[in-house]
Amino acid sequence: MLPIRFASLTIVGCLAITCFDIATGLEHWPFGSYPMYSVSYTEHLSWLRLYGVTDRGEIPLRGERDFAPFDEARLIMVLQRLQGARGADWKLDEALRNLMRLYNNRNARGWPVSAPLRALRLYAVSWTLRPGLDGSEPPRERMLIAQVTGDEAER
Amino acid sequence: MNPPASLTGLAQSWHCYWFAPETAEQLGLVRVVTYGLLFAIYLPLDDRGWTQVSPVFWMPISAFHILSGPPRNAAMIGVLQILWKVSLFTSAIGFLSRVSMITAAALGFFLLGLPNCFGKIHHLDGFPVLLLGILAVSRCADALSVDRALRSRREMPSNREVRAAPSAQYNWPVRLGQALFLLVFFAAGYAKLRNSGPAWMSASNMRSIWLGELFTHTPPTALGSFLAQSAWLCQFAAVATIVVELSALPALFARRFRVFALVGLFALQTLIALMLGVYFTPHLAGYALFLPWERYYTMLRGYPRRLPDRVSLS
Repeated sequence: MLPIRFASLTIVGCLAITCFDIATGLEHWPFGSYPMYSVSYTEHLSWLRLYGVTDRGEIPLRGERDFAPFDEARLIMVLQRLQGARGADWKLDEALRNLMRLYNNRNARGWPVSAPLRALRLYAVSWTLRPGLDGSEPPRERMLIAQVTGDEAER
Repeated sequence: MNPPASLTGLAQSWHCYWFAPETAEQLGLVRVVTYGLLFAIYLPLDDRGWTQVSPVFWMPISAFHILSGPPRNAAMIGVLQILWKVSLFTSAIGFLSRVSMITAAALGFFLLGLPNCFGKIHHLDGFPVLLLGILAVSRCADALSVDRALRSRREMPSNREVRAAPSAQYNWPVRLGQALFLLVFFAAGYAKLRNSGPAWMSASNMRSIWLGELFTHTPPTALGSFLAQSAWLCQFAAVATIVVELSALPALFARRFRVFALVGLFALQTLIALMLGVYFTPHLAGYALFLPWERYYTMLRGYPRRLPDRVSLS
């Protein structure tokens, strides 16, 4: 009977945490409330985007390709959280310095060689979402949030 | 004093739901498929890159709070992930089963949880970690395992096949895995209604999600851009998403309805992958829990040619 009692306790424990997270919206990973895409979206999309400054001007950079192990969604989310944190200026500068090193490691790891960066800039960008867009359109607005130069990233 | 009839009935229903007798072979096959799938899905996983990420990004979740900061030793992470992948494989074949499965669960928690400590929880890996934990404490290696074959050879030198009698021990792990998997979807549907109310089901909301992902993710197709041009399709998709996700709760109890719910959920996740570029590949292990693996296995082997002896292992 002991194994059945242990199994019952396991079942009750798992269900209790799951139901608690669902009811409260809290996350106790690996349990969770799965809130992805649960907010109401408007026609106005605000996002953060990283641009690298090269000898030929600015180029947009993406999480998965340029800043591994970050993917785009995680990278932007963590930058948004740093933006709202106490000591945001210092934290964003340190974050960009580290991201620039990750970008340079990408070249060192033998990935396709990309243009060397003279600086890394973080912008707040926005689009108005209308049918017919295909994702290649430039942002309607761009506002500089933070930037670091190559020399700063070496430090 | 006897308990009231309603309580007795409830206890009986509980017992029937979780502990109806099941064969060791069905659970053994679930073990083979689950660990085999997770081994294949996570073979490319490499967490060593996180050792290069600045502590400024470190935002620990769950039990990771006990760490003082992000791990810094890439070689150690490399060794741990090799150990984890080996343990997934040895769990699938049932070799050193208990040690393998506990190692797979513990290292799975660490290696799949670690990336979530850098600013965002991705909801792809929570369920597989729970499933690894459930199987680690179950008797899923009582059949179709290397350990069992070696033990049988020692105990029955005559090579006579011995099969375990059906037992409650072989049912609850799969039942619990199924329940937690379905609750993942119900949670997602409920979160939408809790955070946005019925407004989530509007055409404009769905259109904004589809179009927004074109700029924030890398969808493999232009389906989102194409479908967003139809207000009617946006409206239909918004309502269907909520209905399909919430259907996961009744699917826990209504066996016939479960097939439709699972087909709907699988279709939903396939469309999410195609339109939004979000891939729930590890959830394949969840869908696999609902398939009658023993029936396939019996068909494949041509059973029952001769009913083997059954002994109780519980």
